[in-house]
Amino acid sequence: MAKTPLILEIKGNSLDDGPGIRGVIFFKGCPLDCVWCHNPESKSPNVEISYDPDRCIACDTCIETCPVKAISKENLFFIDRSKCILCFECVDNCPSGALEKVGTEMSVKEVFDTIIKYEAFYKSSGGGVTLSGGEPTMHMEFISELLGMLKKKGIHTLVETCGHFNLESFMTLVYPLVDTLYYDIKLFNEDEHRKYCGVSNKKILENFKALNKMSNKDTMELVPRTPLVPRITDTRSNMEAIATFLKSLGIRKAQLLAYNPLWHKKNYKIGKKSILYHDPAMTRFMGADRLEQCKNIFRQNRICV
Amino acid sequence: MKTKKAYNVLTAVLLHLFALQFNLRPALKRYMKGSTGWINFSIGFRTVTGSVNQSIVFKDGHVKVLGHIPSNTDVVLNFVDEDTLKEMLNITPNEVLNLILQNRLMLEGNLSYLQLFNFYVALLMGKKHQRMLDKIHANDVQARKREYSMNNPKLAKELNARKNYRMKAENRDTGVKYLDEPYLRQYSIEDFPRLKEFLDIHFNTMPEVCSERPRLLTEWYSGNGFDSDKSGKPWVPEMRQALAFKYLMQNRKPIIRKNDLIAGTTTAKEIGVVIYPDAQGSMIWGELDSMNKRILNPYSISEQDRNVLHYDVFPFWAEKNFRELVRKKYNYPLGEQIDERFVAYFVWKSVAISHTIPNFPLVLEKGTKGIIEDIQSRIETISDQGKKATLESMIIALEGVNAYALNLSRQANRLAQKEKDPIRKQELSRLADICSKVPERPATSLDEAINSIWIMWVALHMENTNTGLSLGRLDQWLQPYYEMDMEKLYTDEERQQYIKKAIELVGCFYMRCTDHLPLVPDIGNYLFGGSSSDQAITLGGVTPEGEDAVNDMTYIFLKVTEMLSIRDPNVNARFNPDKNSDTYLKRLCEVNLITAATPSMHNDKAVFKALEQHGYPIEDIRNWSATGCVEPTLSGKHMGHTGSILLNLVAALEMALNNGRHPLMKWDLGPKTGSIEDGTFETFEDFYNAFAEQLRFLVHHAVELNNMLAEIHAYYRPTPLLSTMIDGAIEKALDVTKGGARYNTSGSANIGLADVVDSMMVIKKLVFDEERISFKDLKKAIDNNFKNDPKLHALVQYRVPRFGSGNEEALQIAKRTTKLIHDLYASHKNFRGGRYTSGFWSMSQHVAYGNLSGALPSGRLSGKAFTPGLTPHPLASRNFLDNIKDVARLDPENMDNNMAFNVKLTPSANDSREDIVNAMHSYVKTYFDEGGMQMQFNVVTSETLKDAMANPENYRNLLVRISGYNAYFVTLNKEMQVELVERTEYGV
Repeated sequence: MAKTPLILEIKGNSLDDGPGIRGVIFFKGCPLDCVWCHNPESKSPNVEISYDPDRCIACDTCIETCPVKAISKENLFFIDRSKCILCFECVDNCPSGALEKVGTEMSVKEVFDTIIKYEAFYKSSGGGVTLSGGEPTMHMEFISELLGMLKKKGIHTLVETCGHFNLESFMTLVYPLVDTLYYDIKLFNEDEHRKYCGVSNKKILENFKALNKMSNKDTMELVPRTPLVPRITDTRSNMEAIATFLKSLGIRKAQLLAYNPLWHKKNYKIGKKSILYHDPAMTRFMGADRLEQCKNIFRQNRICV
Repeated sequence: MKTKKAYNVLTAVLLHLFALQFNLRPALKRYMKGSTGWINFSIGFRTVTGSVNQSIVFKDGHVKVLGHIPSNTDVVLNFVDEDTLKEMLNITPNEVLNLILQNRLMLEGNLSYLQLFNFYVALLMGKKHQRMLDKIHANDVQARKREYSMNNPKLAKELNARKNYRMKAENRDTGVKYLDEPYLRQYSIEDFPRLKEFLDIHFNTMPEVCSERPRLLTEWYSGNGFDSDKSGKPWVPEMRQALAFKYLMQNRKPIIRKNDLIAGTTTAKEIGVVIYPDAQGSMIWGELDSMNKRILNPYSISEQDRNVLHYDVFPFWAEKNFRELVRKKYNYPLGEQIDERFVAYFVWKSVAISHTIPNFPLVLEKGTKGIIEDIQSRIETISDQGKKATLESMIIALEGVNAYALNLSRQANRLAQKEKDPIRKQELSRLADICSKVPERPATSLDEAINSIWIMWVALHMENTNTGLSLGRLDQWLQPYYEMDMEKLYTDEERQQYIKKAIELVGCFYMRCTDHLPLVPDIGNYLFGGSSSDQAITLGGVTPEGEDAVNDMTYIFLKVTEMLSIRDPNVNARFNPDKNSDTYLKRLCEVNLITAATPSMHNDKAVFKALEQHGYPIEDIRNWSATGCVEPTLSGKHMGHTGSILLNLVAALEMALNNGRHPLMKWDLGPKTGSIEDGTFETFEDFYNAFAEQLRFLVHHAVELNNMLAEIHAYYRPTPLLSTMIDGAIEKALDVTKGGARYNTSGSANIGLADVVDSMMVIKKLVFDEERISFKDLKKAIDNNFKNDPKLHALVQYRVPRFGSGNEEALQIAKRTTKLIHDLYASHKNFRGGRYTSGFWSMSQHVAYGNLSGALPSGRLSGKAFTPGLTPHPLASRNFLDNIKDVARLDPENMDNNMAFNVKLTPSANDSREDIVNAMHSYVKTYFDEGGMQMQFNVVTSETLKDAMANPENYRNLLVRISGYNAYFVTLNKEMQVELVERTEYGV
């Protein structure tokens, strides 16, 4: 793992990543490998090249510039990533910005300086800063320093995590500096979790239980979340299993995230095939009805969603 | 060469045919004679190359064609080439307007006579043109359905459903005395059947041209003389205007509309178009027979009104209007020639000086009687005959107002006697009482105060063109009368009922205000699309003493704004971050969300900063209100004609790129500042200075024309009534057109700032700093509209930071340019001895000027709209907060005529009303905290706008903010609609 994490993007105006207006820092790299990953370009911890066909003006500059001839119109993904040596000549010369470098090395201070520009908006809206990804907890020391700087400024902090982290290190470095933790519980069945997310969920559930025991409103707010993916996570059995699990821990509040299909396009941009694309439910935004059905299962377990 | 000559012959043949018809057919010939004699005029037809040279002369009832153009020809049509001439013969009149705007057909001379000629052409060709128009219209409707092929009734429903949920106020501001819940959430339009009915009329009635005002005035002037009176003695202009005005007011039809709680109307029609033949009135002459069929904003007209205007009114005024008088007096100055090409600037004084705020508290507190007494005691102290006459003319004007009020009172009595319904009978009797009391005497209740203001408002509009005249701080000025009424009520129930009544009364007032429209000739539909009179009301802020001014009436006005969602009056809200509450700001956001477009919000602190440089006393600054669109006027004390000049900054840029030549006008107009092709510019500074030089040239000529027009106003149409309503004029015994007001400025609006800054950035970064491209190559690409160079086009668009991206350099160029503009105007004095101020709002000119401008270094293509006001370009940043921060960092000192920052927000269906309003509130609040001056939201999605383009019938009340003013989306020209669709949208 690189010592300095790569930053995927810093967004200054999000209304969907926690309360109020929020700055969001997307880290690159994730220990999970979910097939539906909503930010596929954040999975790899390494720098990549993204190609946006909508923006491309077909001027061929990149094809002429590439020293290893990795770019070709015949290639389905435009760039042959196996040939590409990541010299970024094509990106530097692309006039339209269709080719972009994904992932920037930034120091804690650089990240802080960028995000703090919008401080006034966070404060006036009851918002703050959200660390997202990728998986921010892959860089415990980095985010610890960053969160510390934000807390010093009195800014509300929120971390979005998949839960697959070293608890001890989280407790010492991150826990004291986080106001809210959005904690994903995607699939309850371990085999399925392994199948769709690439790893066992044992650690995730254990960590969750441990955190739930320790945290309360005064220390850190713990909010479990489940992304609804058609026929994978939104099944009745999974909904019920997660709801029962949460109920057994005395949890009264959770979030369900309606499925959106935008990740297919993002997958293409970084040269990855979308294996789930044949399923029509995977190409549509989730309807309000389906969302409501899932919510009801949680409500039946007295969990507010 | 042969074919070119053939056009001269063809033109001659056509004109001869035309002449023959008019000479022989009595049905046509009768139109050549006005009520006071034959209408004599002449028109020349010429191509720029000289291949065509013909004229037609109408003299004493006879038409003849000449094979040359005599020097005294009234108006000459210059065609840029033969093709254009040929084209003109085969298109409809409104397409001819496009030729004019595109500078392919250039007009020189008296435009009234051109309009008369158009009227004659329509007599011959009308039916053919009509069929062509119907076809164009039908094609347009179909094309829209095809292009925006969606029909999603849900979208229209979503907009209308916004009214159904209403938030509750969290707190009560200290100035709110009697409202338990200031947001008044319990009320909806359903509680006010009277208002609902008025709304229905408003949306279902085609505006009708009214000849009453011009007819009565023409009658008076015909009988009493214009330049001199019957005995041959030259008129004191003030006196003449006052007498004519009084005659008009005495003889106007006193109308009390069915069910109205307010007496009087601006016209004799349900929704009237007021005609000012001394301003732009005769510009409708050519459309008298076709205005009801035009595609955009048609007007109806009765046979009688048509005849009155053609035979009696327009012939009298054809040579007596502002434009003509300047042309004559100053021998067609260059400034006017530029103005008449439509591209570089528009000087609004050719139409009006109305952008100001009358002193309503004066008339409410003293009544016209009290004002007359003040004037009389002033007269006793002076001996100067001219000054005496000026003051006497003011008294006569006020007597005219009183006479009208008395007629209204009588009319109310007559109606009351006939009325069967006891409730209405009582209302009419009350109106009779009110009108017998106000505005002559002080108001002592809310209904008197509102009727007093309305009657004065009607009167002011009989004197002054209905464009931009604004109402000021009505919440402040009406609160005392509301409180007087409340103090007489003792039970809670009575008070609740009264609050409802007060809402209804203010609602009726809004509906009265929106009963008239400015006359927009069809060409104006392409320049000022969908604009109404823009009567600004200003709410909130602080009192002259600096205390929180938000009160009961503030919230009552907001409730009415929310329920009616109409385009005019134009509601502006002041927010003082030190004094006003979040409860109030959140309510502004909620009303903006529900109405989708209004009110516009202003930061008091920034506006104060902008005004302080003028050395005004702080109490007067604190009493500012918005005028027309957004511009600050010191209420009741200030002739600021804030809409004097609308200037196209991009024209200066294009002239700098072309060594003084304007490409569309094909005119070597400006100073020779250097040629890119010859490699003159060695540094970015060299080029920026060239731009500054061209701008100096345009500002100079616009200002010069504005000052000439001001002089014409002063000696031709002084305003004795308005002078009684602006502090200073009585004391100085000087009409406000001559500098009578306490404060005198003239305001400009400068359009295309973001486009200029982004272009400058491209030149600075790519040509000079990074040397990535040569200036010559860039220029070549611009000249070709980037057609042959998509790579360069992408580079300039995507690879150079823009204004609004958070880039420091771009921001510095924006700041520098606003300062340049401000300092240029500030170096000029206006006719009344005051300063020029600089604004950065654009009406709808960012679309019109965009349409008339070529490709720019920023990558903006030829003909595309500029950004509205000083709004950053959609490509500036994906992060809306960068836009907000950059705009907030501009210096208010350089924007003393305000600005317009448009933001399109799209509410998420999943979020609660509270969440959305809270987010909007945070944006505005933080923007203001960071120093931002003004902000306005369109809360509507592009999807909805597209659906409205395809299915206008579902969206008649869809309100949008253009730049500074509101309009119904479906009344806009297509370019303006597209511009709104293409604005970036940010989710909330």
